[in-house]
Amino acid sequence: MELSNKELTKSEKRKAVLCISLGTGIGLIVYGLFLYFHIDIYGWNLGLIFAPLAAGYAETILANKIIGEDIGAISAFILFIDTVIYSFILKNPTLGWNLITFGSIIVILQAAFPTLINYILLVVVGGILSNFIKTIKDYENKIKSIYKKQQYVKWDGPDVIEDDELILVYDEEESNRKINDLDFYFITSTDMKTRKHEIVGIYQTEVILDKDRRIIKLEPEKAEQKVLSNIKEGKDECLIRLAEKIKKDGGNGILNLSMTYNLIGIGGDNIQITARGMGIYLQN
Amino acid sequence: MILTSSNTLENKTVIEYKGLVTGESLIGSNIYKDLFSGVRDVVGGRTSRYEEEIQKARDISLNSMIEKAENLGANAIIGLKISYDNLGGTMGNTILVTAYGTAIKYE
Repeated sequence: MELSNKELTKSEKRKAVLCISLGTGIGLIVYGLFLYFHIDIYGWNLGLIFAPLAAGYAETILANKIIGEDIGAISAFILFIDTVIYSFILKNPTLGWNLITFGSIIVILQAAFPTLINYILLVVVGGILSNFIKTIKDYENKIKSIYKKQQYVKWDGPDVIEDDELILVYDEEESNRKINDLDFYFITSTDMKTRKHEIVGIYQTEVILDKDRRIIKLEPEKAEQKVLSNIKEGKDECLIRLAEKIKKDGGNGILNLSMTYNLIGIGGDNIQITARGMGIYLQN
Repeated sequence: MILTSSNTLENKTVIEYKGLVTGESLIGSNIYKDLFSGVRDVVGGRTSRYEEEIQKARDISLNSMIEKAENLGANAIIGLKISYDNLGGTMGNTILVTAYGTAIKYE
């Protein structure tokens, strides 16, 4: 059904009124039949939908035959008003404002004013919804960034999670050599009985890794290997940074080194690797 | 290779600190294991399948660590630490097993 911009003549207007009246009459008859035969779903009479649709359909057919064009299914709107007044106000059944009522109102209005209702549905409602979702997402990101900034310093080193080939190139021996060639003593015990040392202070470093957030993984074993490789790379980076930090303050070793791995962030989105211990200076 | 969580080795002298050695392994999700575990949760009993998986993961971590210590020329690891961390996963069953310690040479 399309609204025509063409001006109707007096005679056409009379014919249009006739079509609207006939359409309204047919709609009322349909509604009457629905009421008479109690065609209901959970007490909700289907005539509320079908009567306006029948009215609009009949009116459109008549208008096309008599005038030669659509006149906008005005009878559907009239029927909508009639049926709502009768059902809600006069008869006052158990019908209330719910999703079905709201949906049927939209269907009826859409039949009567398709362009306007389509515009409202697609442009206005769609626009409001997308803006609302965007606003929520922005707030979520803002909260996440504040949360992270407050407690952790994001690792600004190379991203170790994105590279699929990482699993193939990660070398345990190379990693071990890299850590132990720093000219730095990583000691997990609490003292070195054979060596004299001076305490530099307590040190801690963190590395935060992004976690794979996909719930369904097509290749779970490969995904797990990737996580493990990322963790190993993260651990190496954490230890190197810890050594550099202590060296900067004049130390050359760490006692009681401990490492922890935790899930952090909203919903456990990240893995935090922490290395801490007592920075020392070992005398020759 | 001697493994100990203490700071020293009794009756032995540490002659050289070789460096830090680590080993990591991951227990991932497994639908059969999870289903079996779920049945155990209903009927009761020990989830031996999980125990086996954890033992396996710990062995992988320790062996990886020992191999590195041997490559450094060490004959013992002191200050050994082993940890089990839950990394979430589909049913919260992705567990990271880490082992690390100080490789030394003793006489």
